[in-house]
Amino acid sequence: MEPLLQVRNLHTHFFAKGGTVKAVNGVSFDLMPGERLAVVGESGSGKSAMAMSLIRLIAFPGRVVEGSIRFDGRELLDMTEPELNTVRGRDIGTVFQDPMSSLNPVMRIGDQLVSPLSKHLKLSAKEAERRAIELLRLVGIPAAEERLHAYPFELSGGMRQRVMIALAIACRPKLIIADEPTTALDVTIQAQIVELLKSLSQETGSAMLFITHDLGLVARFAQKVAVMYAGRIVEMGDVKQIFHSPKHPYTQCLLRTIPSIDGDRRRRLLQIEGFPPDMRLPIRGCAFRDRCPAAEPQCAMEAPELTERADGHVAACWLDEGLASLPIGRDWLAGGNGEAEGGSGPETATAAGGGAAAAVSASSSGEAPALTIRGLGKTFVKRGGPPWRRRETKIRAVRSVDLSLRPGEAIGVVGESGCGKSTLARMLLGLEEPSAGEIARSGEVQIVFQDPYDSFNPKMRIADIIAEPLDVRGIGSPAERRLKVRELIQKVGLDPVFLDRYPSQLSGGQRQRVGIARALALDPKVVVADEPTSALDVSVRAQIINLLSDLKEKSGVSFIFISHDLSTVRHISDTIAVMYLGEIVEYGSAEDVFRKPAHPYTAALLDAVPVPDPVKEEARRFKPLGGELPSPVSPPAGCAFCTRCPLVSDRCRREKPPLREIAAGGRKAACHEIA
Amino acid sequence: MKGAFESASAGKVTAGLGRVRVRLPLVREMGGNRKIWAALAILGPILLLVLAAPFLSLPPPLETDVRSSLEPPSLKHPFGTDKLGRDVLSRTLAGFKVSLVVAFSVALISLAFGITFGTLAGFLGRRVDQIIMAVTDLFLAFPSLLLAIGLVAIVGAGTVPVILAIALADVPRFIRLQRSLAFSLRSRAFIDAARTVQASKWWIMRRHVIPNTIAPLLVAASIAAANAILIEASLSFLGLGITPPAPSLGNIIRDGQIYLQEAWWISGLPGLVILLVAISLHFLSDGIREALDPKARK
Repeated sequence: MEPLLQVRNLHTHFFAKGGTVKAVNGVSFDLMPGERLAVVGESGSGKSAMAMSLIRLIAFPGRVVEGSIRFDGRELLDMTEPELNTVRGRDIGTVFQDPMSSLNPVMRIGDQLVSPLSKHLKLSAKEAERRAIELLRLVGIPAAEERLHAYPFELSGGMRQRVMIALAIACRPKLIIADEPTTALDVTIQAQIVELLKSLSQETGSAMLFITHDLGLVARFAQKVAVMYAGRIVEMGDVKQIFHSPKHPYTQCLLRTIPSIDGDRRRRLLQIEGFPPDMRLPIRGCAFRDRCPAAEPQCAMEAPELTERADGHVAACWLDEGLASLPIGRDWLAGGNGEAEGGSGPETATAAGGGAAAAVSASSSGEAPALTIRGLGKTFVKRGGPPWRRRETKIRAVRSVDLSLRPGEAIGVVGESGCGKSTLARMLLGLEEPSAGEIARSGEVQIVFQDPYDSFNPKMRIADIIAEPLDVRGIGSPAERRLKVRELIQKVGLDPVFLDRYPSQLSGGQRQRVGIARALALDPKVVVADEPTSALDVSVRAQIINLLSDLKEKSGVSFIFISHDLSTVRHISDTIAVMYLGEIVEYGSAEDVFRKPAHPYTAALLDAVPVPDPVKEEARRFKPLGGELPSPVSPPAGCAFCTRCPLVSDRCRREKPPLREIAAGGRKAACHEIA
Repeated sequence: MKGAFESASAGKVTAGLGRVRVRLPLVREMGGNRKIWAALAILGPILLLVLAAPFLSLPPPLETDVRSSLEPPSLKHPFGTDKLGRDVLSRTLAGFKVSLVVAFSVALISLAFGITFGTLAGFLGRRVDQIIMAVTDLFLAFPSLLLAIGLVAIVGAGTVPVILAIALADVPRFIRLQRSLAFSLRSRAFIDAARTVQASKWWIMRRHVIPNTIAPLLVAASIAAANAILIEASLSFLGLGITPPAPSLGNIIRDGQIYLQEAWWISGLPGLVILLVAISLHFLSDGIREALDPKARK
């Protein structure tokens, strides 16, 4: 069979002011018809630039400078812009990360769908509309006829992404390029979209190029995987080859950096040290050698080419088995690996879990809690309508939450966006006035924000940023403050030279460290971490998770982790609270909740999390949770989850289940249908 | 394990970024902008001339010499002379000094009032916001030139009334701009961070809001300065601005208006100066804006 897409020696450069960024540096691969290829890599690895080069959508100052892209027997790089426009949209469909910015905000969904249909397929207006409705149904949008007249802002993020997919498949393309299509979405929605893409590719026979940094999704979705680093493919092969016998040290490291949802959570995460190379500078030798524990003198001299390791499996490394070739690499890999030992893993984990449970009962009588909240609620009131007929809409973001946090305890609050977890955090921090209930704090409550790019004043130096809490409170003399700031920055693993820099000069991971240092400045009793790793790359994520775990162990600070990334939460928390529509629906020790989820919502959430292992993924009988979070303006009368629950009964629709104790050790759940 | 962690995360960082020259990004960006250099290339010499005027061998701006009435530009009188034999270059430079005083005063007054009231409106809650906005909207409802004419009609002509009249029209715009900038900052995480340590509103405004709004306001101020020069010239041209015989670009052009056919230089050359200065001030503001907003750069 002829490959559908043949990329040879592709080079894409961005001619920026500060120098030429060589984003793509000689990428070659083949894609067969109907094949699903995942391209994995950190931000800056050139994966998006590569994908955009394929359809020649590289924005100024970027340019494809060399190479060949043969698609369906034609050379894309020789095509004129009008020729390309017939290929884009008709033969190649694209799905981008942010569906809001890729849909036209002032055009109805229907019109956006109809125009490519009539342009590429030459359908009449009526036919095109019929096809548009068909497409919306195909991508799982309920009430498709009505949605045709909706504007993008009237749809949820998941629905918008479905519309984007409908657009991408509208003309039955031979290839669909999806650039991080699920990154902006919740786990349950993410699972739905991935299933949708997978089934579409099976039904329509389109090949797919799926760009992501989530290795779990890769295992669930892809047949082939290409790992990119510093603008090159460093390893490519069958999904099982990549996950089970990776040959390149970078792939080997990446696979060990992700916290697992089902393994031993007590182990420390392996982290890749350092940073990817600056793509403006010429790279001599292997680009990964600075971060590679098994780097040899040869690696600095000459860059290894991709060489065949098994049938269809290529890797670019001088060593046959990557890190596993050398004793030093083997030690390094073994250092953070708890899963491979098999039998002993779960045992130690249960022991640790039992110990934690014992600690709960012991301390509940003695130590004063670091934080207690009782009956906490927040209702936002939105006034609208004309002056003669005022309307009040009440949005119950948080309904009634009870929690107690012991000193040194880490509690993970999980749930989909809109479940009220961020509002809860804002109330704890005093940023939002609760409308009901009370909060008893035993000391400072501080925060680490989600977005390390937004959480610092860009006009302030790092030293002033970390010192700000001390300055505001007027704690200590200027000299004492300077000393404290130096202490803090070292505590989070950064060199004090950073104190004189501005936030824009730091990488995402470094900024997040600064954010943690600032949160610790007032010696808080409780630190709230609101999605602290979701804006970071996989390799950096492990560094931050390890840092937070260390701080928790050493300093005795209590942590509240708010996240939708369940594997991270599990790795770092002692206790888990699962929130749904402003309420806690399940509560218990992390081990219990993750091993034996009681509430059907928790079970569905866990089920949606992809596991970075293609064999396990294949074996899972996977059924994504349907539907979306109901609107907090008009929550269902009975159980909030009754609209999506697989166990739903009449009683659930009528009567609201209370959060009750279902097992010893403070394990609670709110469900009628469980014993 | 711990040792490896710390040495790696700190060590590599210093190796990679050891000698980074730390400079304010704004200054660096502005230094590389061509429009800013072009603007300075025009404004610089004119400013120098204005400042050096008293030391040049030019006749004083008010000195009349009836024998050399309406002389065309020559080496002795580079811009020619007017009906009363006054040196037009000397008058233009003196007039331009007045224009500059007006422009800078208007920009400073607008900045000061704009930043103060705009920040307060954006940060002190709904009541304060409503009151400040009601007043500014009232002033914005009048065309600025009309407002200025009205004020001069009441207070009388002269440099100070002209400055006040122009500033009165500009201040509401600055307040609106600053308020909207402050509004957009309110939801930023670094403001939340300051609020979680219970920083006062005053602290947040001073440390976080104003430093992050000052750059766009400077752009607005440079445009306001350019416009102030034009409005002052218009007012003086209408006889509502600087009162003769004190020179101002506007009244010089007005004086020359009736001799436009036989002595074009009296109105034409000062007019050219106004044109050049206005263009270069707009270049300057464009340049600052581009330097601030990387997306606007081409």
